[in-house]
Amino acid sequence: MNLSSCYLFEGLSQSQLGYLSGIASSMPVKKSSWLFHKGEPADCLYTVDKGAVELLIEVQPGIEIPINMIRPLNGCVGASALVEPYRYSLSARCVEDGTLSVIRRADLTPLIEQHPHLGRILMTNLARHLLERLNETRQEVQLRFMSLVRSATF
Amino acid sequence: MATQQQTNEINFETHDGVTVMGIQGDITAFSEAKLNEAYRSATEQGSVCLLLKIAADAYINSGGIAVLIQILAQTKRNRQVVGITGLSEHFKKIFAMVGITKFATLYPSLEEALAKMAAAAV
Repeated sequence: MNLSSCYLFEGLSQSQLGYLSGIASSMPVKKSSWLFHKGEPADCLYTVDKGAVELLIEVQPGIEIPINMIRPLNGCVGASALVEPYRYSLSARCVEDGTLSVIRRADLTPLIEQHPHLGRILMTNLARHLLERLNETRQEVQLRFMSLVRSATF
Repeated sequence: MATQQQTNEINFETHDGVTVMGIQGDITAFSEAKLNEAYRSATEQGSVCLLLKIAADAYINSGGIAVLIQILAQTKRNRQVVGITGLSEHFKKIFAMVGITKFATLYPSLEEALAKMAAAAV
């Protein structure tokens, strides 16, 4: 299990990574299986050890908005497990057979209470990541707005 | 990764009058500047037939789709012929759903794209 490659755990010491590894478990997944749907309780955080997980918004049956693809060494899935109201903000589907590392919120919360510096690093990394996502979303809104402007006729 | 500001690598080749724009990396809203610059460069060089070659493992999120649609709208205004190749089945369905196929032809392979587009370039 390779936790150190995830943005959330950047800057953690080896001992802090060790604490996280101690509460993480390995979970095999099958291609096309859903990990979770938007709105469900965010009980777990996942990193991808093998395979790939797609994050998307299900608009209606057959129509999905692609948001991101999480592969080994490029992120984690389920960061909503760190933030109230602890509900997944996106849906996640396994794109390939693979293996995930799972950290349950029920185990992470007491660990953070025991090691507040670890918690501060996680939250700082999460805040930076969310700001990047917000910037990307704003850029997308700008693109779509300009498309509307160009296509408007008066 | 789509949620970090990344820059795409873009390379150009020309085959029988078709400009192939090879795009490496995931395509997101952050790809806008690089892709627009590449498209502008190709157009300034006089490219009439443009083939976008997407990397096989590329992920294109909704922001990336918006960037591509913006560029394709420009190609329509500039009366350029556009093809896209390299897409996974997953993204072929998405591209068809959002109407990108009205602006560009999706080709299953580079070879087929070049053969058909070269014929159109004549």
